[in-house]
Amino acid sequence: MPSLVEELVLLAIEDDGGIAPAAGQPGFGMALLGACLVELGNAGRIDVDLSAVLVLDTTPTGHPALDGVLKTIARGEAAPVAQWILRLSADAATVVRQTLDGLISRRVLRFEEARYLWVLKERRYPLRDGREQQDAKLRIMETLLGEQLPTPHDSVLLGLARAVGLLEGFLSTAEIGRLEDRMAKVAGLDLIVRGVEAAILEDQAERARAMMMPL
Amino acid sequence: MSDTPETLHITLEMVGQTTFVCPRGRLDFGTTPGFQHALEQAVNGGGTAPSAVIVDCRELSYLSSAGLRGFLVGARAAQDSDVHFGVCALQTAPAEVFKAGGFDKIVAVYPDREAALA
Repeated sequence: MPSLVEELVLLAIEDDGGIAPAAGQPGFGMALLGACLVELGNAGRIDVDLSAVLVLDTTPTGHPALDGVLKTIARGEAAPVAQWILRLSADAATVVRQTLDGLISRRVLRFEEARYLWVLKERRYPLRDGREQQDAKLRIMETLLGEQLPTPHDSVLLGLARAVGLLEGFLSTAEIGRLEDRMAKVAGLDLIVRGVEAAILEDQAERARAMMMPL
Repeated sequence: MSDTPETLHITLEMVGQTTFVCPRGRLDFGTTPGFQHALEQAVNGGGTAPSAVIVDCRELSYLSSAGLRGFLVGARAAQDSDVHFGVCALQTAPAEVFKAGGFDKIVAVYPDREAALA
């Protein structure tokens, strides 16, 4: 089964192998960093409370994306999740690249580079058989349409996908609206997801402030 | 009754058809496996499932993200067995974590044991 970070990347791959517009937003990188923190928590490297991300063990996990994040957190001053997500956001592109590389080497994705208008390059990552992406979507749908409480993994996947608009890739706006109550209840039952949501809001507010600054 | 490493002591108490799981100390990454095991024991009830499992948090001093995951796993196990699941007597700091994680929307929260039994 793919990791949480990998599943989020897979949800951002469109049917033709293109990358969903939501993945071009800064929030997507923050969601991936949040997923890294969740994975590090599951692996016993960190724990999180309302005041800080606590490093428990600096032993590498063997996953390049997770180990890069762990190393940075272990070296830095203690801070709450949202602050760490903002601090780490410059590393988000590396996490995306390492995750895509891992999925390509495990033959979940292919890499294609095409040129259009003769000069512009376009990168595509077509799914090989789409099983892993389909499984993530199905589990999200089961969580949303069922009455059972989700697993911690699925609750976080849904919460992070929702926070960055990845659900729009396979659910209509009307469906999302209809499922809003259920989502509010079961999505992101985790302090890290709440931290990611807070970081996204803070980043958006900062960008809005910057746009309103006189030139 | 079980001890988990270092900082969490858990007791189970039956009151009628309700099992109270009573953690004392810190619920974090190191102590969550023992807590989850205690919740599973309480839900299974040694063969006869109780009608409710309530985590009595009056002596729970600390709750982390890992501990919240333990609550979710326990709540799911209770739901699978058709057992009511709730918490009571949450102290201020753990209550803030519980609320911040959104758990007050999926788990019944009671001020004390009496309210949980009512």
